[in-house]
Amino acid sequence: MGQTSTYSTTVRWKGEHWGHLAMGNGPEMDFSAPPDAHGHAGVFTPEDAFVAAANTCIMMMFIWAAERFKLHLLAYECRTEGTKLIELDRTEIFTRLQFRPSIRVAADGENLEVVEGRVRRAMQSAQKYSLVANSVKSEIVIEPEIVIEE
Amino acid sequence: MSEYLETTVDKFVFRVAADRLYGAEGVWVQAQDGNVRVGMTDYLQQRSGDVAFAHVKPVGTKLAAGDELAEIETVKANVSLFSPIGGTVVEVNTELDRGPEIINESPYEKGWLAVIEAADWESDRAKLLDPQAYLSAMRSQAEQELIG
Repeated sequence: MGQTSTYSTTVRWKGEHWGHLAMGNGPEMDFSAPPDAHGHAGVFTPEDAFVAAANTCIMMMFIWAAERFKLHLLAYECRTEGTKLIELDRTEIFTRLQFRPSIRVAADGENLEVVEGRVRRAMQSAQKYSLVANSVKSEIVIEPEIVIEE
Repeated sequence: MSEYLETTVDKFVFRVAADRLYGAEGVWVQAQDGNVRVGMTDYLQQRSGDVAFAHVKPVGTKLAAGDELAEIETVKANVSLFSPIGGTVVEVNTELDRGPEIINESPYEKGWLAVIEAADWESDRAKLLDPQAYLSAMRSQAEQELIG
């Protein structure tokens, strides 16, 4: 549908290579660049924010899809890596986001293959309906490890 | 294999099978062997989202035109489908239990919902839309939704 919503964040320079971030949903924090880009260790960075945006969005969409597919979710954990390419002209781009979710689901007496099929479809739906995943140019690769407990 | 009419609205392509009739709300009806097969249109399945479960009324259910035929649970919504014809459900697509995604993948073929023995096919048939009329109505509806 053609409906729109808007979300905002505000950044303010604090001097040197430091900034302060106020997110539309409430949290505030200082940020910098990563150490390999003239920033500081131990703080939020744009690179982390980009990968985290995709990782958190996919997870929240998966949680929603798992409810819709009536899955008894026991655990979800996902490490996501963003691959940065430095081009010949020194511009940079995240070319790839690789998700490796570990998903544990209880079968609750149902056929294990059927439940695993629903988990995979919930994961596909999570990617399909993820706002952030739909908004990035990076290739998105999701390799789930699924455990169904009897 | 069916032939299709096709229309593009914004970035979405919707197909309408040319060999059947349609209820205005997006249920197709195909007469065969004295009964009628029913299912969801391509537009309605795209509009509804990825199907998680399909609950079709069981064999033996008697329906009047306009009665609920099925409830489709998708990732995004619960969608009630109403029968555009009256009659008795004589067959339900059992493949939907194991793989309801066939409604998304093949709405006009493998993803059919049920076969109904029509009570008054000639009367109900007169109220249905031909493929071109449904295509026009569906296109107007899709454009209206885009405007918001």
